[in-house]
Order: sequence, then C-alpha cells, then structure tokens
Amino acid sequence: MALPLHTIKDQFPIFKNRPELVYLDSAATSHKPDSVILALNDFSEKENASVHRGLYDLSTDATRRFENVRKKVSDLLGVSNPSSIAFTKGTTESINLIAHGLIRKKLKLGDTIAVTAMEHHANFIPWQQLCHQRGALLNILPVTKNGELNLSGIDSMLGPRTRLLCLTHISNVLGTINPIEEIISIAHRKKIPVLIDAAQSTGHYPMMVDSWDADFVVFSAHKMFGPFGTGVLYAKQEFAPYIEPLNFGGGAIRNVTTEHTEFLDYPYKLEPGTPHVAGVIGLGAAIDFIQQLDLAETSLFTRNLTQKFKARLHELGGARILGQPSNFGSIVSFQMENIHPHDVASFLAQANIAVRAGHHCAQPLLESMGVPATVRVSFSIYNTEQDIDKTIDALAALKRFWSR
Amino acid sequence: MSDLKTLYSDIIRHHNESPFHFEKIEHAPVVLRANNPVCGDRFDLFLTADQKRISALHFHGFGCAISKASASVLVKSLEGRSLHEANNICNEFIHFIDNKPLHAPQELTDDFKAFSGVHNFPERRDCAILPWSAMKTYLESKLGRNN
Repeated sequence: MALPLHTIKDQFPIFKNRPELVYLDSAATSHKPDSVILALNDFSEKENASVHRGLYDLSTDATRRFENVRKKVSDLLGVSNPSSIAFTKGTTESINLIAHGLIRKKLKLGDTIAVTAMEHHANFIPWQQLCHQRGALLNILPVTKNGELNLSGIDSMLGPRTRLLCLTHISNVLGTINPIEEIISIAHRKKIPVLIDAAQSTGHYPMMVDSWDADFVVFSAHKMFGPFGTGVLYAKQEFAPYIEPLNFGGGAIRNVTTEHTEFLDYPYKLEPGTPHVAGVIGLGAAIDFIQQLDLAETSLFTRNLTQKFKARLHELGGARILGQPSNFGSIVSFQMENIHPHDVASFLAQANIAVRAGHHCAQPLLESMGVPATVRVSFSIYNTEQDIDKTIDALAALKRFWSR
Repeated sequence: MSDLKTLYSDIIRHHNESPFHFEKIEHAPVVLRANNPVCGDRFDLFLTADQKRISALHFHGFGCAISKASASVLVKSLEGRSLHEANNICNEFIHFIDNKPLHAPQELTDDFKAFSGVHNFPERRDCAILPWSAMKTYLESKLGRNN
C-alpha cells in the first residue's frame, strides 16, 4: 500500500518550520522527509564510523549498511547487479568520471561525441571540453520549438566515429521526458554506448535501466529527497573494468609498492578516500522513502499539477510558456510579458514563493530557443493545488504592480 | 509589498521602461560587456573616449529591471565626464549599493538613491552593480595606463 499523497507534506519538516513556504524549485533540490533527516542524524549520533577499515562493530555495521545501499540503488534503478553502482559526489562527478576516466583515452582526433541541445551544463561542458582537448567534434542534436528532441536527424548524426551519446532523461528547463528507450536502441544499432543523465527522473519516475539497456546512468541524491554531496554512477558491467579513477588515494587499492599500485575492481577503485558515509546512508533512507510511494501515481500527480499550472498561466494571460512537449514531467518554464524573470522571481519571493529564474544551467538550450532567461516552476509530491492558487494570485498581483 | 515598491522605485521603473541611450552603436571604438553568468543578464556598453573624457556612451542588451535601470543611470551619469570623474562616480555608486554613505555629485543623488531598495534585497546587489563593475574595470585599466 503506497503512502497517501494528500498527507505526504506532513513528512517534510521544512513546511512545519516554514508554514508559509510555497516551494516550487524541487528541480534544483528537493526537500527531505523526516526519515532521511533522522537517518543522517542517527548515523552520526549512534553509528559514526568509516567503512571498509575498522575491525570493530561500529565500522562493520557502517560498512554493511553502506554496501547495502548499492542494492537499494540497483533496485530503484531496475538494475540486477549492485556492483554496477559507484558512489560519487553527484551527477557532475559521475559524468566527469565517464568523460575522463573512460572516454578520454579512446577519443581520437576527428572522433565525435553526441549530445543534445537540451542538456544541463553538467552533461554538456564535460563533453565540450573533452572534445576540445582531444580534437574531437561535439555533435548536438537540436530541439524543436515545441521543446522536444528533433529525432529526424539522429540517424545521420550518429556515425561510425561517434564514441558516446549523452542525453538527459528529463529536461531540467522544459520538463520534456525524452524517449530514451527508442534513442538507446537507435544508438545501439550503431554500437554507440549511451549515457543517461537521470538527475531529474530518479526517484520520481519508474526506472528500468536494465530493460532500457542504458550503458551509463547518473544522478544526485539531493534531487530525490536525499542529502547533498552524494550521487551515483551506474555503469554496465562490460565497461566497468575500463573506467579509470580520476582521484587516487587510500581505500581504493589492492596492493601498493614503491613502484606500482594495483587497484580494486569497479566500483571500489572509483571511491578513494573516506567516503561520505552518512550521505550514502541518507541516500538509502531516501530510497526507502521512495519505495513506499507508487512512482506511477506520484509522477502522474506532479504532471497533473504542472498541467493545471500551465492552464492557469494561460488563463492569466501575459505569460509565454517555453515549449509544448507532449510528454512532460513536473517542470515548466515561462516568461511574463515585459517583465524580466528575475523581477518575477523577486516579486514571488516576497510572497514566500520560491521559483528559479535565469538560464537554469542550460544556456545552449535557451539560446537555441531564442530566450535569454525564464522563470522555472517545478513540482514535487509535497506541492498542492493551493500552491498553484497562491502563485497565480501573486503573478496577477505582479501584473497589476507592473502596469500601475 | 512596500519593500517591492522601494525596490522598483518610480525612477527605476522609468529607466527600465524608457532607458537612456538604449541602442546598439555599430563600430563603437570600445565595447564593454557586462555579463552575469549566473542569471544570463548581458549588456554591452558602447563607448567613445579619448585619453581624458567619455564623449559618447550608449548601451544595449538584456537584463532585469534593476540591471537595466542601473545601466541607463550609468550612461546618463557618465557621458561627458572625465575618466577620473567617471571612475569616482562608479566607486560611489558601488559603495552606495554596499550600504555606505552616498557622496555622489548633487545632480546624480536622486537617480542613485532610487536604488536604495536594493539594500533590502541582497540577492539583487549584483544586478545593481553589473554595468558599473564593467565600467570601473575598464576605467581603472585605462587610468592606470595613462599614469
């Protein structure tokens, strides 16, 4: 029996401490439920120990719980092998590990990396810079004015020298849900591996990584009710032996001599130094929380809120929504006529409504759509229809204020 | 709401809606880019200056009401000034935004004081000083070279 959504907000203490808060920026970071905060505190209060080191109970317990989170992550992602899960600092580090720990050494002059125009900078800049460094070409799959990937050119874009295709599951600006299964299958027909940026989808949408046959999947805990500074890299087993660490240090080794170091296998070789143990335990608690939800229900719930908000914006008038993707999640970007997004965000902030304004770390996307900045609203399971009412009321007040 | 009325004072609203010398100048001798990478605000300042004086100043670009009004006030305040005067005025404006007492020339005080609402919105400081920082960097380097 899934947790009922109409009372779920009670589990997020931020709203007890700030009852007036209308939080519409979950795409930037989500709030944390009691259970995650408790797990983080409990670990520090009762179990604090490093992992893979001590021979005493505290450390063995911490190690067991830490390792158990790999299983929780693999279950959440729909992956059969927990050893395919490496812990990182977040999505950005996970992507850089693949860029510089794997792709770099096989990327030759004139090879190409394929990305899409709707990537977050985290899944764009590492590839752009790697291409600069290696004399490779960055191919960018364009976005239609509806805010969907223009798949008509994908076949010609992916060639024999394409070493990797990187794309986001859900756009952090437009909310577009990309047909990743179809795209992965197109790429695989040409033997091109695919990296999926799942920062906006993990924990919010049902994930079936094994069945999608994705080669790499990356995400951050803090966007899915978990702690900051903790993320995940999933790599398909066939690539795991070839991913080289970018950071070196203790814990990730099998044997060290004065001349040579023999590293542990994936994923341990990528986790040198004392890891963020509490962060990983917190990620585990976030997954436990998510496993009590019905993700098909929650994703429909946030989609409905988004759909209602779009309709109310339309009724309000003077708002232009960026893109009209047919398959969208819990995110919408818009502009108010003659009012800059920052001024909109400042105005909403005065009414205790938290939204994001700017380019949302996706400048190439905004540029391709001819827009310098937008206001972004993103919904999560703790949002309500009252949040929409308050936001629309505040936008109506903003329009009056601006036309006085 | 009262804070918002101070932030978006009538003078700021006026400069935002009818900015002073808001046009692109082709072949301007100097173009300064004032760019905020965090939010994407981007203005170009088109400048004609000899070794001593700014003879013409225009601006164009995209930004919020605060940064646009600020650029408009900058253009209005600095055109015709000597490089030294202009540099002092840039410093005065930035100091004022950073909550220090205002010592601007008499004729500029109303325009400058219009930005006092920013004091209650620290997250908008960068919007207010965006064009002034770019101008200050340019003037300091130019004055430094002259000395």
